[in-house]
Amino acid sequence: MTAEAGKHRGIPWRKWVAAWSQRVSDLAIPFLAVFTALAIGAVVIWASGASVPKAYQGLFEGALGSPRGIAETLVIATPYTLAGLAVALGFRCGLFNIGAEGQFYLGALFAVWVGYSVKGLPIFVHLPLAILVGALGGALWGAIPGFLKARLGTHEVINTIMMNYIAVLMVDWLVNRKGPMWDSTSTVPRTPYILPTATLPQLVPPYRLHAGLLIAIAAVFVVYWLLWKTTLGFEIRAVGANPSAAKYAGMSVTRNFVLAMTFSGVLAGLAGAGEVLGLNRTLPAAFVSGYGFDSIAIALLAKSHPLFVPFAAILWAILRNGAGLMQIRAGISVDLISIVQALVIAFVAADEIIRWLYRIGKKEEIKEVVFTRGWGR
Amino acid sequence: MRKAIWPTIALVVAVSMVLAACGPTPTPVPPTKPPVAATATPVPPTKAPEPTKPAALKVGLVTDVGKVNDGTFNEFAYKGMMRAVDEFKLKSAFIETLAPTDYEKNISQFAEEKYDVIITVGFMIGDATAAMAKKYPTIKFAIVDFAYAPPIPNVMGLVFTEDQSGYLAGALAGLMTKSNVIGIVCGKEIPPVVKFRKGYENGAKSVNPNVKVLGVYIDSFTAPDKGKEAALSQIAEKADVIFGAGGPTGSGGIKAAAEKGVWVIGVDQDEYFTTFRDKKPGYDKLVSSAMKRVDVAVYTAIANAVKGTFKGGTAVFDATNDGVGLAPFHDAEKNIPKAVQDKLAEIAKGMKEGKITTGVKL
Repeated sequence: MTAEAGKHRGIPWRKWVAAWSQRVSDLAIPFLAVFTALAIGAVVIWASGASVPKAYQGLFEGALGSPRGIAETLVIATPYTLAGLAVALGFRCGLFNIGAEGQFYLGALFAVWVGYSVKGLPIFVHLPLAILVGALGGALWGAIPGFLKARLGTHEVINTIMMNYIAVLMVDWLVNRKGPMWDSTSTVPRTPYILPTATLPQLVPPYRLHAGLLIAIAAVFVVYWLLWKTTLGFEIRAVGANPSAAKYAGMSVTRNFVLAMTFSGVLAGLAGAGEVLGLNRTLPAAFVSGYGFDSIAIALLAKSHPLFVPFAAILWAILRNGAGLMQIRAGISVDLISIVQALVIAFVAADEIIRWLYRIGKKEEIKEVVFTRGWGR
Repeated sequence: MRKAIWPTIALVVAVSMVLAACGPTPTPVPPTKPPVAATATPVPPTKAPEPTKPAALKVGLVTDVGKVNDGTFNEFAYKGMMRAVDEFKLKSAFIETLAPTDYEKNISQFAEEKYDVIITVGFMIGDATAAMAKKYPTIKFAIVDFAYAPPIPNVMGLVFTEDQSGYLAGALAGLMTKSNVIGIVCGKEIPPVVKFRKGYENGAKSVNPNVKVLGVYIDSFTAPDKGKEAALSQIAEKADVIFGAGGPTGSGGIKAAAEKGVWVIGVDQDEYFTTFRDKKPGYDKLVSSAMKRVDVAVYTAIANAVKGTFKGGTAVFDATNDGVGLAPFHDAEKNIPKAVQDKLAEIAKGMKEGKITTGVKL
């Protein structure tokens, strides 16, 4: 709301223009942040003695310059979107779910287990079952810290970090040589391959793009619908905005904490399930994906809005996918990608820098973006 | 104030158009090489270099999770490639892998760019290499630390007898220890590392039946802090020689141990030139390194491809062809008794002649 818009109450289109211009400047911030980060990245490339055009041309050509490149970018954007939604949903309830990585692991573990051990089912039963059990695995790993927070007041950041360690090391023990899930016919430490009936089909063969993408797209709208079109979603947001007020209004804070973490876990678990059912078809030891941790950055970049999450995910996927050709063309360290990503996050988080740099006016009202609350509730 | 955004956006668009325009121009920038660690390891020429036809091959290297300047494994492979590249005037590039899920993507990136030879580094990348080799049968692949049975026609598996290298390190440790307790800090429990560890144990017991060997596997090759903790706890249990066998994880262990003043043994490369480069604290405590000539192996694979003698299958690098062995003692030499040095030389000779076996089976 701006002052001039208030003065011209009688003429609605003026108000509309003012609101629109506000929206444009809000939307411009992430784009300008990315642009500025790339510009600083260019200076870093130049300072390291490499060719800036070659590096950036490689980066974008690798990610978007061929059908295979685009397919691979979407392959990476799929788990990023799901895991990003997981973290964003947590933020909306005032919870900082650092455990997406662990929930991702559990989703992958449960899905691969159903995928190789359950035999004799037709694909339209086996595949949904594997996906569902994967989601359950993530839900379990999310619900535990949610429950601990709700009942005992222990901070979810600590607990989700611990749950990550448990997940990673447990998977490693299960899958490693001589572990209970190790495929003894293989020298590589991994589980047996999943059956064809549990495989997510490829969307455009021969590319690796798989039907997990459709799950991710559906999840975007489901989360949006959940948060803004249902009573439950309203409660989750209310608890996120102000737990005390929500409690006073008769909402159960504990119940919403547990539910938000469970849904968050479901989303991260789906991301993990998609990776093993659509891409790897097995769960190797050292399945370190980094998706869970990157998704925190994606949720921040999307300002925790489910409809923006896919765009942030695609940006991250472009950077990660293009890195290969960038290295081939320019011979610079892959660390540059991390630098650019860090700068984007810094500029989006501290958008005052961008507003000052590009002389964009201040937002008059504080939008309802709650990230997390401090200790306790 | 808000109006100021429009010129800004115009500027942004203009600048990005300029950038886009610069893009496709074939700017004649010389290909920049990343700084290679200035190690002085003189790589012995295995074969007489002969500059061949101008048809320059394109060679690509995909690292295991890690960087080409990690001071051990990946860096050693990279050096081997660069030696071949300089010698035969080849074109080369590398991709540093961020996560295991990216192995296939990174390999296919080189394949799409029509590279002739692709080097993949590490046991964990074995499945991805096999899959890509079948998909691109005309490209020559070489993989460090992996052997395929049955062999794949366009993949050369480069494997090492780590147990021999570990055995020599163990003999050295067994002869040097005063407390009769020695330690080993390992990386992931995968065959190459297991062979180092078992060889180390057998080697130590062969010269010193009373020795006690403390060992630990750490589930990462990139966790120097965990390696440090493990080494310090072994020292607390009276270990006075520590062998670090696990990339930067092991290096972190021996670095901390050397600073504490116990003898340490490096792995893969001569760590005198990497971990303890420029006489970093503890450099005089490094008695040797259990070498595994990844550089020689990678160089050989590329050289074979250049000369047209490339064959799929498994190439074993062992004591007989100097693929494994101990590095020089460097600044620790004055503290190593003559008798110990002689005994080691005797074992190395016996190993070369096939008279001494390590007794390690996997």
